[in-house]
Amino acid sequence: MALINVAAREIHCKIVYYGPGMSGKTSNLQYIHSQVPKEAKGELLSIATETERTLFFDFLPLDLGKVRGFQTRFHLYTVPGQVLYERTRVAVLSGADGVVFVADSQKHKLEENIRSLRELAVNITRQNKRFQDFPVVLQYNKRDVPGALPVATLDKYLNTLGWQRFEATATSGAGVFDTLKAISKLVISKL
Amino acid sequence: MQRAFSGAHRAESRMDPQLTSQIVPAEEIKVIEECLVRLAEDTGGNYVLLLDKSGQVITAQGDAARQDITALGALIAGTFASSREVAKLLREKDFRQLFTQGVRENIFISLIEDQWILCIIFNKGTHIGLVKVLTKKATDDLSVVLERVREQQKARDDVLGSSFRTSMEDTIDLLFRD
Repeated sequence: MALINVAAREIHCKIVYYGPGMSGKTSNLQYIHSQVPKEAKGELLSIATETERTLFFDFLPLDLGKVRGFQTRFHLYTVPGQVLYERTRVAVLSGADGVVFVADSQKHKLEENIRSLRELAVNITRQNKRFQDFPVVLQYNKRDVPGALPVATLDKYLNTLGWQRFEATATSGAGVFDTLKAISKLVISKL
Repeated sequence: MQRAFSGAHRAESRMDPQLTSQIVPAEEIKVIEECLVRLAEDTGGNYVLLLDKSGQVITAQGDAARQDITALGALIAGTFASSREVAKLLREKDFRQLFTQGVRENIFISLIEDQWILCIIFNKGTHIGLVKVLTKKATDDLSVVLERVREQQKARDDVLGSSFRTSMEDTIDLLFRD
């Protein structure tokens, strides 16, 4: 639920990057952090294991500056993707205004993508939100990997609800900002 | 392989509609600030902040030099959300309060009606018993404010007109690019 503070003239929105382990959620945030102008971003905070796997979440606050007199902030989070952290993902999703689902395009990851997406639907529904109406943007990541599944195949299994979807290679940045723009606009349209 | 969602899931539509934004009017922020100042003064606490459960800071009072309030809000809300999942595993409804003890400072966190989180940071000069009692009173006062915030929707249209959304889209295009 977005928060609008009329006294301080501030609007805050929370966007969560969701998806299976190693699909590139943290890479998305790292790329955004590396590209956004200094005055528009805070520190990228990562709670990770010693092997750089996300343990709790990554957090990146973005400040869009004043829009019609309102200071507007997007808070980006990632969830830990590993199966073990299912309850942690529920905690990070709390109060989210929109989700980017980062799918891994590799063939052997398709089942994990499907499982993760179903879990997302269950978790959003448990927050008393209707999943079909909830702002979601789909990102097919790792398009640069040889043997990546065709987009049509990924669409068939993952995009049955007809979300906006983007091809991406998060490590090089391709598609990262297209995804961010789409989810930001979608969240704003539902405020 | 089965698709992520079958037709049955798509047809499901009996849930509550998408929750709308929460708008805290200026006069309610003033009431909240007074409540936080009172809590800080009466307990001798160093810093008091009110968060939304999503981790966004509604307002904060105290030691002006404190840095990284945004990250602090995200982490405290994350801790609370995590404790809620622990509660479920223990078949508790939830944990209403959390206490974290440090070497220099302690943090006491209290939930307000499943929506807001009141957090007070205090040092060794303040007794935890006093913090608990006065936080309980502040929590009761803030529940009343929260109730009023939930009921009012009038201010929404004043803020979120169509021109606002257009301006926002322009800003997003300008800022979010390689």
